[in-house]
Amino acid sequence: MKIDPDYNCPFNSDHTPFGDVVLSSRARLARNLEGFPFVNRSTTSDCIEVTSLLSQICTKNNSNLQLKWIEMDELDSVTTEMFVERHLISSSLAHAIHPCAIAVGPELSRSVMVNEEDHIRIQSIRPGLQLTDVRDDVHQLDLLVEEIISYAFDDQLGFLTACPTNLGTGARFSVMVHLPGLRLVKDLERVRRACEGMSLAIRGYRGEGSGTMADLYQVSNQITLGNTEEQLCNILSEDFLPPVIEWERKARMTIAKEQSQRLDDQTFRSLGLLQNARILTPEEAMNNLGNIRLGISLDRIDTIEISTVNQLLIEIHPGHLRWKYGKELDDDELNTRRADLIREKLGQ
Amino acid sequence: MTSCDHCDKPAIYHDVRIANGVHNTTHLCAEHAMEAGVSLGPIDLSVVLHSTENAISGDISKACPDCGMTVAQYKKTSLLGCPSCYQTFSDELNSIITQVQNNNTQHIGRAPAQASVDLTRHLQIRRLLKKLESAVSQEEYEQAAILRDKLRELHTSGEPNEN
Repeated sequence: MKIDPDYNCPFNSDHTPFGDVVLSSRARLARNLEGFPFVNRSTTSDCIEVTSLLSQICTKNNSNLQLKWIEMDELDSVTTEMFVERHLISSSLAHAIHPCAIAVGPELSRSVMVNEEDHIRIQSIRPGLQLTDVRDDVHQLDLLVEEIISYAFDDQLGFLTACPTNLGTGARFSVMVHLPGLRLVKDLERVRRACEGMSLAIRGYRGEGSGTMADLYQVSNQITLGNTEEQLCNILSEDFLPPVIEWERKARMTIAKEQSQRLDDQTFRSLGLLQNARILTPEEAMNNLGNIRLGISLDRIDTIEISTVNQLLIEIHPGHLRWKYGKELDDDELNTRRADLIREKLGQ
Repeated sequence: MTSCDHCDKPAIYHDVRIANGVHNTTHLCAEHAMEAGVSLGPIDLSVVLHSTENAISGDISKACPDCGMTVAQYKKTSLLGCPSCYQTFSDELNSIITQVQNNNTQHIGRAPAQASVDLTRHLQIRRLLKKLESAVSQEEYEQAAILRDKLRELHTSGEPNEN
């Protein structure tokens, strides 16, 4: 299987339901094998035994899934960086020094991390609002693994995980949402309160403890115990997202109507900058792409497809730029290449 | 369960106000509470985790018999060492699980489809392997030979026969 980052973009949400607000949907299951210590107490031979078992499972009976098995120490640094940027693997797996691995599907949407914080992290990511689909994806992989292996499971506590915050279902569902309208009408606090009330966590683009870029936020279930997988998924897809999507759309319409000049200024200032800059940091590029994404959704710009912006929101990150232009690029060269790529894609 | 004032969904927000001797009650579901901008009580995981750092009391040198993890080590990393830790430290973990899981303590999600037979057999193999390792390291070769035969038997027959 050839790994091709151009093949699929997890943010290509333009033809998916609610793609104007929801960029991507993700599901993750945390699992551990019975009879083994958790990864943080595992010896090297335990880790090797677990990767060996999982490699047999992931490469067997998976004609439909076509998972490619990769030991992390065999994965080059650029592909590793690119996988982290696509959320296919976590940063901690990328930097782990014990034996660990990843099985990844050809569409770069499904993956199985082996020996991360837990022995197994099954993941799926799809563009737009497709929470039910990603839930089905991980369930299918879960069944494949448990046909052969016994999970650490307790009747009362469910699937046992290294951290009690993942206990029970081990399931984490999340969405990446674009909320520029709610920021501009100063209503993000309402979203935060809604998250709090539904036991959801809201984080910036780069995850826990980070600020955000491009008005992108990740929202996920905070609890994993005491609800079924379906219930946890529905809290996001049925209770949280419909009103938030509605608020965001209303906020965008309000801005277009009542702050039209400000919107135009923001949109074309960002467009001018992105079409002319020769050096762009990730933050500057992301924030201005976020602004023109809002401008496109409100018909301020009709010469650029929203899919072009969605694609750029992924492709301008260091791993993707190094994949495209060469792995030796330093930070200054990355900033130049980033600006070149954006000018090329935005037609200037 | 009380229904929401605006729809038939179960209410999760309840407010009672008394003014001039008159009770005013409000019951809202999650959606209508959101619309009303009601704060349903913040759950900030970082705060909860921080507050749980000192939630464990008692003997911090208590260790898990399977993996050796101690309470002190758990307090440092917030990670348990093995599945048995949940049983060993159940008293200490109860309050943490209650806090981080928003008062949920019982799993109601799916269970592994075919856990029991394979699970038992796998555990037996692991236990026998550990015993075998220990017997060899202590040069108890007769005992090691018995254990090896049991392992072979278990592998070939698939029948549980640990003792």
